[in-house]
Amino acid sequence: MEIIDPTDERVPVRRTLTARPPKLRGAVALLDISKPRGDVFLDRLAELLAERLPQVKLNRYRKPTFTKPAPDELRRLIAAENDFVIEALAD
Amino acid sequence: MHDSIWFESSARPAVFLASSVFAEAAQKQADALGLPEVRRVFVPHPIQDATNDEMKGKAEAAVEQVITALTR
Amino acid sequence: MLRALLRTNFQLRRAHGKISAVGKTPSLKSPPSFALLDATGRERSFPSGCPAMLCFVKEDCPTCDFSLPLIDGAFRAFGETADIWAIGQEREGNLKLVARHKLGLPMLDDSALRVSYGFEIEIVPTIVLVGADGAELCRLEGFVRDEWRGLFAKLAEITDKAAPALDWGAYPAWRAGCGSKSLEPQAAQQLEAEASGSRLRARRIELGSAEDPFEFMFERGLTDGLPVIPPTPERILAMLQGTRRDPQEVVAIVPPNMAPATVEKIAANAVMAGCKPEYLPVVLAALEAVCTPEFNIHGVMATTWGATPVIVVNGPVRHKIGMNMGRMVLGYGNRANATIGRALKLAIRNLGGARPGEVEQTALGSAGKYTTCFAEWEERNPWQPLHVERGFKREQSVVTVFPVESGSRQVWDQTSRNARSLAASLGLGLEACGHPKAHNYEPEVLIVVAPEHAATFGRDGWTKAQVRERIQEVTARPLAKLLPSSECAVGTPPASLGIKEPTAADLARLIPKFRRPESINIVVAGGEAGKFTAIFAGWYDPAAARSVSRLIEEV
Repeated sequence: MEIIDPTDERVPVRRTLTARPPKLRGAVALLDISKPRGDVFLDRLAELLAERLPQVKLNRYRKPTFTKPAPDELRRLIAAENDFVIEALAD
Repeated sequence: MHDSIWFESSARPAVFLASSVFAEAAQKQADALGLPEVRRVFVPHPIQDATNDEMKGKAEAAVEQVITALTR
Repeated sequence: MLRALLRTNFQLRRAHGKISAVGKTPSLKSPPSFALLDATGRERSFPSGCPAMLCFVKEDCPTCDFSLPLIDGAFRAFGETADIWAIGQEREGNLKLVARHKLGLPMLDDSALRVSYGFEIEIVPTIVLVGADGAELCRLEGFVRDEWRGLFAKLAEITDKAAPALDWGAYPAWRAGCGSKSLEPQAAQQLEAEASGSRLRARRIELGSAEDPFEFMFERGLTDGLPVIPPTPERILAMLQGTRRDPQEVVAIVPPNMAPATVEKIAANAVMAGCKPEYLPVVLAALEAVCTPEFNIHGVMATTWGATPVIVVNGPVRHKIGMNMGRMVLGYGNRANATIGRALKLAIRNLGGARPGEVEQTALGSAGKYTTCFAEWEERNPWQPLHVERGFKREQSVVTVFPVESGSRQVWDQTSRNARSLAASLGLGLEACGHPKAHNYEPEVLIVVAPEHAATFGRDGWTKAQVRERIQEVTARPLAKLLPSSECAVGTPPASLGIKEPTAADLARLIPKFRRPESINIVVAGGEAGKFTAIFAGWYDPAAARSVSRLIEEV
C-alpha cells in the first residue's frame, strides 16, 4: 500500500547563528514579551547588566501580546536601534 | 522563539529566556524553524506565582548565561 | 511502475551507448524541446536550428568536475556554430562549477530537473549530441576517452571547425559517472507524477506488506489517538473531487511551524479524519480562518489552558452535506460534524506541527480538542443567523471559528417563562467564564441556545441586544466585591478599569461581566426538547485571538 505523506515535508531552511563578538558593546534590547511577572525579572536583569556592562546602552521594549510574534514594525525598530536582543520571559 | 530567530537572521545576536518547563517545546520549535542552536536560557519554573524576591533571584542566576549566550 | 519504465529506457539507451563509432547511427527519438535560463539570466531555447551538445552535470559528481574543462574546450572550439551547453542540476552547484572552472560555456539551470527527466538522464555527466535537424545523434555517459575523442571529431565534422589539439593520451581511459538527481526517489516521484498528469505532488510513503497501515499511522505520530483512514492516492483523488480548487494551491500557512498547506495536503488529512469529499470545502475554509493572525491558532494550540477552535457552519451547505444542528448537536454521531472538526485538528497537527508535549502545552486539555463542529439551526432561530449578522447573505455558506478555552458547559433553566428571566439565567451562568470574579471580561463567548430557550426569546420578541443588555444587568456587581483579596486572590484589578487608587465611589461602581456586550455571540442549535443553553468561554482577549468567518466555496 502507498500513502500520501500528510505532514509538512519541507526540510527546514537551515539557518546559522549570527557571529558573536567577544564582548557586549553598543546597544542591547531588552524585549518584554508581556507575560505577567516578566517585568520584575527584566527590571532586575537590566540593573545587573547595567552594573556589569557600563559601556553598553540598554533599551527596553514591550510586545503587545506574548501570544504572538512581535509586529514587524517593532522588530525592525529593535534591529535598527540595537546590536543584541534579550527576549524574556516565557513560561 | 520566532522573534529570536528573526533577530539572528537579521545579524543581531539574540537570546530567549523561558521557564524550564519549556525546554523541550523550545527545542522542537527551534528545529522546525531551522536554527536548532538558537540561544536560550531557562530559569526555574514557576513564574506566575513567584514572589518579587524569587523573580529577582531568578534574574541574578541567569545574567551570566545571558551574557555568554550573546558573546559565545 | 516508474522503476520498470526507467529500466526499459535504460536498456534501450545502453544499446545506443554501445555504438562506438560515434554519430554514425541515427537516434531513434527526437529529444524534447525546452527553454532554460543560463547563469547570467539569459534564456536558452532548444532546439535552435543549430547542432547542439547538451552536457548534463551536477556539482558533487567528480567525473562532471573532471569533464567540464574539456566541455568548455569544446565550447571554445565549436561554440560559434553549435549550442554547446552545460545543463546543471542544482542552482547553487551550477554557480560553483562556473566559478571553479571559469566556464565560458553557458550553464543552464535545470534545478527543477524537468529537462533531465525529459531527456531520461540516468548518469551524469551525460552528453547528448543533437544534429541541426533536432535528431539525437548520440549519447555518452560518464567519461570514456575514446568515445569523447570520437565526439570531438564528430563535432568538428558537423560544425566544419577544427578540433582542438588535445593530448588524449594524458586522459584516463574511463571514469564512471554518478546518478542523475532526477532519479533520486522523491524527485523521480514528483517528476513522474507531473509528467503523467497526476494531480498529486506530495511525497509518497510505501508501506511494506507486513505493515498494518493503521498501526503505521499511529507509530508515525499521525493520529489524534483514534484510528485514521490511510490517505492513499486513490482516496485523496476522490476527496479532491469535492473542490474546484487546484490541488497545489496553498490555502494557508499553518503555525506554529509555518507550513504551507496545499489543498492536496489538507485533503490527505480530511481523508484520515473520515470526511466525505463534499465536506472538503468546509475544512478548507475553516483552516483558512484559523490560520489568520486574528484567530492566532499558534496561541490556541500552545496555551497551557484547554483551548481549541470551535467551528460553526451557516448557510445552505448545512443541509447539502447533512450536518447536525438538532438533537446531540454538540455530541457525537453525525459524520459531517465529527469529521470536519477532526480534519481541521489533524491538519493543524500534521502540517503545523502542534502536538501534545511539544508545542501543545495544555495542562488539562478537553475532549473538544478531538473535534468541535456544528451547524446553526437557522430555521429555528428567532434572530438573524450568525453569518448574516456578520454581513454575509443568508444564501451564502460560511464557516466561523471561535477560539474557546475548552469544551462547553450548560445553563439549566426549565422554569423561566419569559425572556427577561431566561436572560438573567444565562447571565448568571456566563459569570463563571474565566473566573466568576473576573469582570470587565474581554474574551468573546459563544452561547448555543437550544430551540426551547430560543422560542422563549422569540415569543417575547427580544432582540440579541436585549439579551446582552440583560446579561450585563444581572452580572453588574460593585467593584468592592470583585477585587482580588486575601480570601480569593483572583478578581478584577482596578487597573483593568483605568483606576489607580479606588475611591469609595469607584468601589461602589457596578461592573458588569463583559467589557463589550457584543463579545457575547449567540447561535441557535440543539434538540427541540430540553431547556438548556450551552456556553463556550473564549480563550484570551481579542487582541490575542478572536473569531473569524470565511466564505465556503460553492461547488
